[in-house]
Amino acid sequence: MIRDITLGQYYPEYSIIHKLDPRLKLVVTLVYIASLFIIEDFFGYIIVAAAIFAVIAASRVPPRFVMRGLKPILIIIIFTFALNIFMTSGDVLWEYGWLHVTRQGLYTAFFMALRLILLIVGSSLLTLTTKPMKLTDGIESLLTPAKKLGVPTHELAMMMTIALRFIPTLLEETDKIMKAQQARGADFETGSIFRRVKALVPILIPLFVGAFRIAQDLAMAMEARCYRGGEGRTKLNALKFKRRDLAAAFVSAGYVAAIIMERILL
Amino acid sequence: MTIRVEHLTHTYNKGLAYETKAVDDVSFEVADGEFIGVVGHTGSGKSTLIQHLNGILKPDAGRIWIGDIDITAKGVKMHEIRKRVGMSFQYPEYQLFEETVYKDIAFGPRNLGLADDEIDERVREAMSLVNLKFDEMAERSPFELSGGQKRRAAIAGVIAMRPEVLILDEPTAGLDPKAHADILSMINSVRERMGGIVILVSHNMDDIAATTSRVFVMDTGRLVRAGAPAEVFSDAGYMRGVGLGLPQATEMAAMLGLDGEPGAGVGAAAGETAPGTILDMDGLVDAIVSARIARGPDAIDGTPRGEEDRNGATRDEKGVGE
Amino acid sequence: MLRFWLQAAAVAGVYAALTMALAPFSYGPVQVRVSESLTVLPYFTPAAVPGLFIGCLISNAVMSPYPLDFIVGSAATLGAALLSYALRRIPWLVPLPPVVVNGAAIGAMLYYLYGVRPPGVPTALSLPADMGFVAIGEAIACYAIGLPLLKYLERHRRIFEY
Repeated sequence: MIRDITLGQYYPEYSIIHKLDPRLKLVVTLVYIASLFIIEDFFGYIIVAAAIFAVIAASRVPPRFVMRGLKPILIIIIFTFALNIFMTSGDVLWEYGWLHVTRQGLYTAFFMALRLILLIVGSSLLTLTTKPMKLTDGIESLLTPAKKLGVPTHELAMMMTIALRFIPTLLEETDKIMKAQQARGADFETGSIFRRVKALVPILIPLFVGAFRIAQDLAMAMEARCYRGGEGRTKLNALKFKRRDLAAAFVSAGYVAAIIMERILL
Repeated sequence: MTIRVEHLTHTYNKGLAYETKAVDDVSFEVADGEFIGVVGHTGSGKSTLIQHLNGILKPDAGRIWIGDIDITAKGVKMHEIRKRVGMSFQYPEYQLFEETVYKDIAFGPRNLGLADDEIDERVREAMSLVNLKFDEMAERSPFELSGGQKRRAAIAGVIAMRPEVLILDEPTAGLDPKAHADILSMINSVRERMGGIVILVSHNMDDIAATTSRVFVMDTGRLVRAGAPAEVFSDAGYMRGVGLGLPQATEMAAMLGLDGEPGAGVGAAAGETAPGTILDMDGLVDAIVSARIARGPDAIDGTPRGEEDRNGATRDEKGVGE
Repeated sequence: MLRFWLQAAAVAGVYAALTMALAPFSYGPVQVRVSESLTVLPYFTPAAVPGLFIGCLISNAVMSPYPLDFIVGSAATLGAALLSYALRRIPWLVPLPPVVVNGAAIGAMLYYLYGVRPPGVPTALSLPADMGFVAIGEAIACYAIGLPLLKYLERHRRIFEY
């Protein structure tokens, strides 16, 4: 199971969406999420859906990958849907015993489910088209104003980069440690939840000690190479806005305008 | 206790475009008390293979019998397998976690559900087998130990389970020469004391040659050779072809042209067929001495094949002069 | 100073790796995130505060089906970590902030933003129920795993020095 997990959902492709500046993508995603809570009616959803389908098409990521992100919460969606259909009061459309379906219920259920789906799909697109490292760079850059307030953005970003780099290593370690303890009879699969939970200590301790050992060694290595912190540090691959980012920004602005107009006029 | 493996296959990423057979149709038998060596280039599937023997991995095809239990059958309790087959992974010291050495070694036996006094006996026995002094070490934190001590403590943790099959994956990796030798002799004394099958996975051909009675060679998931060390290491070309080296003495003997030729072996008189491949330094020394006795002081001067010796004569194919 | 941040990175890495390795249990309304047991770490070192925050951020960004988990969940983790650090003098109180803070924040998020209503619970009690479920998952991780973890690591305090 552990072997088959790839870090994140990044789907490598050559598309304009993939090449966009991560800062732009982050901001647009936030705007998109906000827009989902502004729209109230059918036409609004049409605009959002159209927009997101356009982006999916432009990203050249196979739709089934995008839909994969929905799998874990399919149950929730179905559940919420059912609950809203049956539990909302209003004009009854259909009855069977004590189950009744109302028009309002149908409406609410449908839109809540739709909103959830659009939410997930939209944010999946962000992680599908942006490498984790680039995301980190983007976040660090966007948070530069916070630096003035004393937030150590450079250190936090460095931490994130290093943690990201070591996660595959740590995952392998976890796997190895699990197997080694299993070979000594540790059992993580059977028993009450409390038993299984206690069985995790033989994994956590070595993992922890190992990770901290790596941190010590890495600190020494960095110091030996005269790492002095973030002051005046430059990047090898600095983020730069390109023309396509400007174009994408215009398109997004257009989208926002459409949403707002729809809300006001309809 | 015997092991029987039939047509074992393990596929990674099954069904996807990049599926690979880590273990491809491997079959073999191991008799009671054998000391088996498993060698293979990185990625040849040896680690994957041995992880099937104690039930950590399940095969996609094939069956495995440990003793008379088919561990690949449905409903087999892991507990039963782990009681019989003990395994020590690479760099086992990274699995140490308990507060004291005693408690860490006792972890295995405790998981087997043994009584406290039985556990105590086993911990003491295991510690003495790995040469860790009970009175000094038992109550110390495992993290305070030296690298070699940690490794021995980790292996003790497996030995304390008294497995009938002991599998060791690179037990000497990363150790200094003394610790390395200590571990090897430890393995031998454990084997003497506990009987049972020992399987050693290693990149170190000298260790394999010195300790094992049969060698399995893995290459890209297939078991390509299985035989006595002398047999397996005699085919230098093949071994290099599958990305493996030879014991140092064997390499040296090949370079000097002493490999298995008439009169080159220990005690062989001129004209008799040699007993075969040289596997260790003692054998090499004997072979050199015999060759010099048989053919005079110039027989070997250390010139590699194909190059000119101090007399200007080029060493021929055999490397050994007149 | 560098060691402080690298220790934090180690905490973040372990948190993220654990969450991802045990993926099916780590997301959703009943979250038993084993990695939450690491919330006892502020007891040993302040580096655990940014560490837990970033670790949570990474796990959520990379694998969560709930995109707002990213903001709400991580902020909750940061807040809880700060509180745990403040309470570090009393071992058994250290795991409490995550249980309470995460329960409240994530429960509220599930209720308001995703409309999650637990089955078999009258709608009036849905919000407390959502919070309760999250809190239970947290409590299992933080107390049942976290406290033993604390006890074991106590003996190896040396690794936290810098």
